[in-house]
Amino acid sequence: MFKRSDESLIEKAIGGDAKAWQQLVSRYQAPLYYFGLRLLGSPDDARDLLQDVLIVLCRNLAQYRGDSSFKSWLFGIANYRAMDMLRKRKTTTEFTDEHDFYDDEAPSFEQQLYGQHTQRLVQQQLRHLPPEQRLVVELRFYQQFTFDEIADQLALSSNTIKSRFYAALDKLRTQLELADVEQSANF
Amino acid sequence: MSNSQQIFEAWLAGKITASECEQQLEPDTEWYSRFQTAQLLQRQAKAPFFAPVPEVDTMSIFAQQWQRPAKSSNWWPKLSVAFSVLALVVSLSPLELQMQDSGLTLIWRGGQQMQQQQLETLLAGYRKEQQDYIQTQLQSTQQQQASQLILLKDYLTEQQTKERRTDMLELVEYLNQQRQSDWHYWQENYQPSQARLDLGASPNAQNR
Repeated sequence: MFKRSDESLIEKAIGGDAKAWQQLVSRYQAPLYYFGLRLLGSPDDARDLLQDVLIVLCRNLAQYRGDSSFKSWLFGIANYRAMDMLRKRKTTTEFTDEHDFYDDEAPSFEQQLYGQHTQRLVQQQLRHLPPEQRLVVELRFYQQFTFDEIADQLALSSNTIKSRFYAALDKLRTQLELADVEQSANF
Repeated sequence: MSNSQQIFEAWLAGKITASECEQQLEPDTEWYSRFQTAQLLQRQAKAPFFAPVPEVDTMSIFAQQWQRPAKSSNWWPKLSVAFSVLALVVSLSPLELQMQDSGLTLIWRGGQQMQQQQLETLLAGYRKEQQDYIQTQLQSTQQQQASQLILLKDYLTEQQTKERRTDMLELVEYLNQQRQSDWHYWQENYQPSQARLDLGASPNAQNR
């Protein structure tokens, strides 16, 4: 069966079709929640972000003009809200390893295959990046947006996005090396 | 933009493979380590994520924002209006429903009568039109006559005034001519006699 386009679902939802709205929500619910989880580091905050973004989306559905992809437009809203939440927290030091959001009940085959240990380590180090850099890494790798799309979403130049991206890569490399040295020393 | 950056971005955009990128970036330590970190992140991003997604109820907001109350499916008012219109049409049209000998007959009321009625209506209209036309013509003629009479009166008054002036001038001329003629007559007949009389009466003339 053919997948209906986002634009078609939006059009139907604006006309009052609840099923179309439900389909649109279920299409982006998980990506938005995981985005919040990785960026904010807490399931509660991620849930708040998800709820907030979906409410804003519902109220402003008719404002989507199709200039960019719907996903890009939606993440534009999510970025703004997530950065707002991070700004309210003021510092990134609030992130602690207490917020371990990996589900222990997940299948062990996949956990072993993709190395949950490395995954956790990278996630922990990502949380120590400045929010602006973390956001760019999230949007580039996890959401697969191009530099131009990210620049468009954040209303910044493409060069600024690239410089944040490369700075994030450099910093993450240093952090991962340090973490590796610490872990080796512990053993 | 450096050459290494171009190679790195080409790999990110999927234009070259990871092995091609690795091979070309190997001499550049900075870009090679960036490439490795990026590869690690890319693998991370592709790995499945198993955190359960919470359910968020957005249906109430959606219903409030975009759903309108369902239209009433009550068809009684529509049916009532339809029957009223039908009754009006039947009463205005020449259709007649007659009950005869325990049967119903639908008849078209008198065709000839209707034609006659239409003819009378047309004739009455024509008559009215003609009367209006005659009335208008009459009024127009009366107005025209009244204005012509006024013009005639003005003309006559003017002519009369002119004639009187001419008569007076002729009279004055006649009187002047009479006076002139009297003067000549006096000069010719009475002036020499007067002169003689005046000469006879003076003392110088007596002495001579």
